[in-house]
Amino acid sequence: MTAEILFPEICGLYGDAYNGKYLAMACPQWDFHYTPFTEEPYFATHPVDLLYIGAMTEDAQRRVLEKLRPFKARLEELIDAGVPILATGNASELFAREIDFITEGVKVQGLGIFDVTVKTDLFRRFNGKVLGDMGGRTVVGFKSQFSFLYGDNTDSYFLKCVRGVGLNPASKLEGLRKKNLICTQLLGPLLVLNPDFCAYFLGLAGVEAQLPYPQAARAAFDQRVKEFSDPKIQFGHNR
Amino acid sequence: MKKLRFYFALWMAKAVRLAMRLLGRNASYLPGKLAVKLCPDILAHIIPPKTVIAVTGTNGKTTVSNLLTSLLRKSGYTVANNALGSNIQGGVVAALLENATLSGRVKTDAAVLEVDERSSLLVYGDLKPDYLVCTNVMRDSIKRNAHPGFIRYLLDKAIPAGTKLILNGDDLICAELAPQCAERTYFGIQAEAPEGAPDLEGLDLVYCPHCGGKLEAEYLRYDHIGRMRCPSCGHASPAPDFLVTEICREAGTVAISQDGQPQTYKLLNDNIVNIYNQCCVVAVLSRLGLSPEKIAAGLDTVEIVKSRYDHVESGGLKITMQSAKGQNPDACARSFQYVADQPGENKAVFFLIDDKGDSQGSSENPCWIYDCDYSPLAHPSISQLVFSGPRCLDQQLRALIAGVPQEKIALWPSFQGGGHLVDTEKCRDIYILYDVYLDKEALSVKKALLEKEAGK
Repeated sequence: MTAEILFPEICGLYGDAYNGKYLAMACPQWDFHYTPFTEEPYFATHPVDLLYIGAMTEDAQRRVLEKLRPFKARLEELIDAGVPILATGNASELFAREIDFITEGVKVQGLGIFDVTVKTDLFRRFNGKVLGDMGGRTVVGFKSQFSFLYGDNTDSYFLKCVRGVGLNPASKLEGLRKKNLICTQLLGPLLVLNPDFCAYFLGLAGVEAQLPYPQAARAAFDQRVKEFSDPKIQFGHNR
Repeated sequence: MKKLRFYFALWMAKAVRLAMRLLGRNASYLPGKLAVKLCPDILAHIIPPKTVIAVTGTNGKTTVSNLLTSLLRKSGYTVANNALGSNIQGGVVAALLENATLSGRVKTDAAVLEVDERSSLLVYGDLKPDYLVCTNVMRDSIKRNAHPGFIRYLLDKAIPAGTKLILNGDDLICAELAPQCAERTYFGIQAEAPEGAPDLEGLDLVYCPHCGGKLEAEYLRYDHIGRMRCPSCGHASPAPDFLVTEICREAGTVAISQDGQPQTYKLLNDNIVNIYNQCCVVAVLSRLGLSPEKIAAGLDTVEIVKSRYDHVESGGLKITMQSAKGQNPDACARSFQYVADQPGENKAVFFLIDDKGDSQGSSENPCWIYDCDYSPLAHPSISQLVFSGPRCLDQQLRALIAGVPQEKIALWPSFQGGGHLVDTEKCRDIYILYDVYLDKEALSVKKALLEKEAGK
């Protein structure tokens, strides 16, 4: 089995580097390719069984988009083939139709996998939490972002928010999904915080992996679900 | 009309300050906040002292501000500063108004103002510092500061062109700040340079900000602090004007050269972070015209404030307290490394690094602990880790992922107590790492440990 972690040197912000590292710990027998930004993505010319990309700076986001743009058709091929692909934090926004960097007055075309747009405002940072339901699985995560997505994801969402906001403050549907491509703004790191979702994601690749430190991961997850279910806990605010 | 509003705000703030002081309150923020509310551009109307020094940066700005204030006062300056208050706009205004006449002229010779990076646009828009000191630009609370690129964006926009910069030359993000400023002084450390050229993955500076080529590190001390160079375009870390050339821990001295001329000073603290802070302070004071001899004499009489670092010994039990600024990956990682680097075996570490604010009505985002290097905690000289606070289960998982054996970990889910979990029979060298807002809780743990030792 082959997994590719895209541009780990710049796409591991906000703890997201540990999504890839946790996967590698869970699947020690896999062949992991950590593709630096200076090289062509491994998936461009090789089969992959799993793809991951994490959060990055807004400047890096523009550069990563240009890097991936030539491989849009190949990415669509992988998506259609059902390859599990996870994009967390603002990596999820790469797959939108357009990113509007309001502060700089720049609009950039996204990969256009989903018909949604992104608005990024560096003077408006949103911090929040999400208690979500993904087909009966509880998923918890955090949002810490300058951006929201706008568009209709009623047929293409990742999870329903039991608490917290989805694509934007008016939405209760978080993230985007097309087959096994999952795009979510949730941070945590998501796979470390959610042992059930991590096992599910690896299951999409046909693997039943033994997660690292399952008891400690479960204990932390259970406590967070309990906290997030407490009505006294606040769920989001701007700074 | 504008002037009338200013005077009204000034006098109201002074009246509120007087009332608060009569009630025994610090009055180090509220009067400033009120003044800004009444007159949003109040900083533009205050007549500043002859020399305004703004101190910013992710880590070390409080230490540097305190040292500068103390040393300037010892050198005969009168200094306004916000050490007791907030480092956002209201705290800066409060500090200046406290020292201002009824006409709004600040009476002191100088102002040393610690300024939060996020407040840059609000502060420097109206108050133009003569000197701006930046200690470093690192990852900090992601809720407020996002990432260093964002902080650099803010500072670049905010710093006035005429301000003289004093920057960490070993931090290429910091060293590149505000290119509109022509007068730039760099400080750095040459001594004890680590060997080897490390990989830059995961750092906040991997590619050249000028040509996009991959940077190479001559060496890195921690995170992106070190010497870097771009092989594609030749862009490199600047040569420091003030350079630590020798650190002598046994003698308790540090040699700092200024334009090639070395001077020996008392080493205030042997943590590398504080050596950067000390070198920064020497650079600022030199630029203000103080002679190396006068600076050395001043340094002989000061200490790093004990709220940041303290060490006691009692009956063979050693307790070191070090502030570790929760939600700040680099500050915590440095504290972890400091513990690992200390001589001795069977160390115990007591952690109070969860966010106190987030523990009330919220649930802390643990992202930052995955941005923080926990690997020093797996050092064999550390026998026990006690994670206290509501995020202790997250801390446990993070430590396990970093390679700490489960049997070395103890958990205490509260900020109160937990000292009894420290195995003082086995571990005689105890480190209490605590967030700045958990200093009272940390002191309670220290007290409990000392009482337990005394009762043996």
